[in-house]
Amino acid sequence: MSGFTGTALRKTFTRGTERVHALDGVDLTVAAGELVALVGPSGSGKSTLLALLCGWETADEGTLAYAGTLAGRPPQSLGWPELALVPQALGLVPDLSLADNVLLPARLRSGAGPAEDRARQLLDDFGLTHLAGRYPHQASLGEQQRVAVARALLLRPAVLLADEPTSHQDRGHADGLLDALAGAAGDGSAVLIATHDEVAWARADRVLTMRDGRVSEGSPR
Amino acid sequence: MSDVAELARDGGPGTPDGAARGGPRRAWLWRLPPWTRAPRLGLLSPAAVVAVLVTSAILACAVASAPLFLSSARSAALQQQLAPQCAEAGWPTTGARVAPDAGTTAAQMSGYADRFPAAWAAEGQRSDQILMIETAAGRSGNPQHGIPVDDPSGRPLAQPASMFWRPDALAHVHVVEGSAASGAWLPESYARAANAHAGDRIVMAGTAVPVAGVYTDLFDTAYGSYWCAYTGLFLNPGSSDVPPPALVLATDRQTLFAVAAAGRFFDVSQQVRIDRGTLSVSSAHLLLGQQERAQRAAVRRGDPARPIPNRTLGEAVSRASLIEQGLRGPVVPVAVAGGLLALVLVASAGSFWADRRANEVRLLAARGVGPVPLAGKAALELGLPALVGTVVGWAASRLLIAGVGPADDLDPSATRTAVLAGVAALVVGLTSAAVVAGLRARGTAERPLGAAPRWPSRVPWETALLAAAGWCWALLEHREALVVDHGVAQVNGLLVAFPLLGIAGTAVLLTRFLTLLLPAARRWGTRASPAVFLAVNRLAAARPATATLLVAVTLPVAVLGYTATLTSSSRTTIDAKVGVQLGAERALASTSFVTANARTDAVGTVVQRYDGEAAYGRIVDGAGRPGRTDVQVLAVDRRTFAGTAFWDGSFADEPLARLVARLGGPEAVGRLPVVAQGLPTGETDLLLGQHMIPVQVVATVRVLPGRRTTDPMVVVAADRLPDRGLLTGADRVSELWTNGPPDPATEALLRAGGRAPLVFTEADVFTTANFLAISWTFGYLSALAVFVGVIAVGGLLLYLEARSRSRVSGYVMARRMGLSRSAHLRSLVVELGSVAVTGLALGALLAAAAVAVVYRRLDVDMLRPPTPMLAVPVPAVVLAAALTVLVAAAAAGYAQRAADRADPATVLREDA
Repeated sequence: MSGFTGTALRKTFTRGTERVHALDGVDLTVAAGELVALVGPSGSGKSTLLALLCGWETADEGTLAYAGTLAGRPPQSLGWPELALVPQALGLVPDLSLADNVLLPARLRSGAGPAEDRARQLLDDFGLTHLAGRYPHQASLGEQQRVAVARALLLRPAVLLADEPTSHQDRGHADGLLDALAGAAGDGSAVLIATHDEVAWARADRVLTMRDGRVSEGSPR
Repeated sequence: MSDVAELARDGGPGTPDGAARGGPRRAWLWRLPPWTRAPRLGLLSPAAVVAVLVTSAILACAVASAPLFLSSARSAALQQQLAPQCAEAGWPTTGARVAPDAGTTAAQMSGYADRFPAAWAAEGQRSDQILMIETAAGRSGNPQHGIPVDDPSGRPLAQPASMFWRPDALAHVHVVEGSAASGAWLPESYARAANAHAGDRIVMAGTAVPVAGVYTDLFDTAYGSYWCAYTGLFLNPGSSDVPPPALVLATDRQTLFAVAAAGRFFDVSQQVRIDRGTLSVSSAHLLLGQQERAQRAAVRRGDPARPIPNRTLGEAVSRASLIEQGLRGPVVPVAVAGGLLALVLVASAGSFWADRRANEVRLLAARGVGPVPLAGKAALELGLPALVGTVVGWAASRLLIAGVGPADDLDPSATRTAVLAGVAALVVGLTSAAVVAGLRARGTAERPLGAAPRWPSRVPWETALLAAAGWCWALLEHREALVVDHGVAQVNGLLVAFPLLGIAGTAVLLTRFLTLLLPAARRWGTRASPAVFLAVNRLAAARPATATLLVAVTLPVAVLGYTATLTSSSRTTIDAKVGVQLGAERALASTSFVTANARTDAVGTVVQRYDGEAAYGRIVDGAGRPGRTDVQVLAVDRRTFAGTAFWDGSFADEPLARLVARLGGPEAVGRLPVVAQGLPTGETDLLLGQHMIPVQVVATVRVLPGRRTTDPMVVVAADRLPDRGLLTGADRVSELWTNGPPDPATEALLRAGGRAPLVFTEADVFTTANFLAISWTFGYLSALAVFVGVIAVGGLLLYLEARSRSRVSGYVMARRMGLSRSAHLRSLVVELGSVAVTGLALGALLAAAAVAVVYRRLDVDMLRPPTPMLAVPVPAVVLAAALTVLVAAAAAGYAQRAADRADPATVLREDA
């Protein structure tokens, strides 16, 4: 399986006349089979770091390297089985049912058939079976979020990045999601979740704290 | 980020210290009173601003176009009535036939004639004078047609003369012999009969007049437009056997008044030259008022004169108003319907505004703000764009009428009405947008997730349209489809309402059925490629939007197909009736025998028309003997007839060329082969004059070109008829049929033996202006269809824009999962293309059905063959189809471009 390492990552944005240092020399490593929680206040650079890790942003400075079977590949070239993600905005396709949203990664690769059983299982695990035929706008935000996580888990990705995956959940459903993410890590995935959920910190193998564009090991004090 | 969040950050009411944190960038907005703040706030949603601006423009364009179009049509109706006539027909003219008392001198007459230009000058108009003597005291002292003339030897001439003076008349004749002297110019044939030459003196009405020159008879020349209004002075339209009085041209007024003083009559006309090509009805009314005053000033009570003002212009104005009335019936309801459609679009823009500002209005609604204050907020925010859109739309309608309308000459009252219509459109449109925005904003906040569609969306309201269409059809069954009022054809409004209602109702009903199939299509799509899968799911997920789009494509295609086909068919039918009547575009007739030669072959074909009789077996008299019937016999030139004569495939079962070829076939038992219409096949005897010609009808046709009476017709090869010497006494006219310009044909006819030709054109068959109401009614409907198409495009863009945010975030994630750019573009093309193609097919089907039901009832003149002909305007149909597909492709490209331009990191960080 694969993990990844970022070294001295820097990213600066310009907002009007102001320069914002979103990442200011970030060093981090997430190994295969590890569940890492990334915590920090809003605006500390968590989402920017995730965007950079999945290839939607590029670092101004520093290096990002994936390991194992993904070694040497830039993040934007990685497919869903290699790198799956749950963005803050979820990114569900509004014209597909919740079940079809979960199945979409499989359908766009080699057909939905082989993944249907796993999709059904994930929907069942997340308490979504009865909503499978609904469209995203006919589901609550929490239900949509669980669909987004199920979609990320469908193809058992080598790396999973999730931005606030439990933010719209009640405790019960949040625990279910954390179980699933921990299970993915247990199966060998490298899982990094940006979260404010203190329960998630406890479930993580490691906690990284982010503040003013810098990462440090351990929970925030 | 939502507007509320942005405003809050920048110092909105939710964050009093926001200005300090986010900077004072928009804090000043909140210190403004609501009515000042709202218009500025509206600008924060540019897409909504553009939507309201564009839809308001469409609405204003729809409602303002009707009064402008009607005024434009009235002006064009006036101009097109005058266009085929001589230029002078449209010129305001005062005039009189003066019969001065005995003893009135030439100088007194001249003084009287001078009143006419003075009267026009008092109206501020420059004018030209024409003087004529058509009536004079005869040798016995009684008034007679023409002036008695003695030749230079004092011998009275049998043919009288008329006298004409116009300042530059001599510049428009061919001089045979001339001089600079004052006096009279004689036509050549008259000079020959009088044995008169320049320098001689003839006596006209007892007054000696010097012969100043000789010119070629006008009927022997291509006389041109200068003489157009005066052909009665040298042609006898009734018969070319009896010539009119010879036309003597006076070199000056004194010469004419000297003759008039002796002959005791003269005509005076005073013309004001105007450009009839830019005349509007209101300007014509102005001129007619001036004409009336000038006429009264020139011809006073007690004058020995009969007023002869120009009545043609007044009649044309009345007819133009009648044509406009004919248009008003169908056009006003159609404009209202178009306006209502556009209103729906404006209301949709209000809904779009509510979507765009969903977070803010949801928050307000959650805090208890009702739909009325929300509607007020929407009205204040959208008022400025609506106003700008209305102005743009009004200007667009004005430009459209100027560019593609019947004429660009509008009455001031029409512009005023159009402005009022624009103001009404602004008020009603803004109110609708605001009300819908308020209701939608409130509804969005209150509607539970996953709720089933509300019951009104399940009711098939379109059946009401179909019922209304059925009712119109039932009424139409007992009424004429075309009403002719004072010779002006008008389209019955029911003929417009019935198919439009039917098309609209059927389109919606069919669409409702088709969209019911979408869930099944969605299930099928799971087995298809990703592109098709995504496309089908998008269509199925937004069923109301899919149905609306489908209707939006179907309706304009169907209406355009229907109206363009009817316009084209009615034009084709009128052309065909004219072509059948004349034989070709133009027919020149001469009683003298015309022999075909290379020159006539170059311009057309020579036809000898005989009034004859046919005797054949089927008609029997009381004694059982073969009966007789009057027939028209056309002896045609086999080499040129088929190439010139008007023909349509529906006239016979075989082409004209083959029919003509059969005229050259072998004689059967001494009988000439002929083609006939109205006679059975078999043996017939034709009686031409005193000569009996046995013929064999080898083919019959439904319609023959050159048909001018209801009698049967026979076509025979001219070169196989007996020598014309044997046919002496037969009632014959030689004709030259041509599809080219008149002057070369006239020249060719004169050189082939013809004399004083009478020229028959379309204007002699129909006053084509009388049918303008038909073509303009359907033309306006075509414009409406194009307009609905524009609305559809506007709706499509709104649809794409409204869904772009969710579509783009889904696209970004799908790309991450392995969806290629080309597969996504293909899915958009399949999605929009399938709607376009289905709409095209449905529209074509509905148009064909409506045309099939209606077109036979559009007979502008049932007495003249042929019956209504169907003409499919292939270029218009192909263009509409191509445009529809092009718009779908462009929309797909637009949506793809929007997706490509999205920054994934930004898109996926926005609120879900």
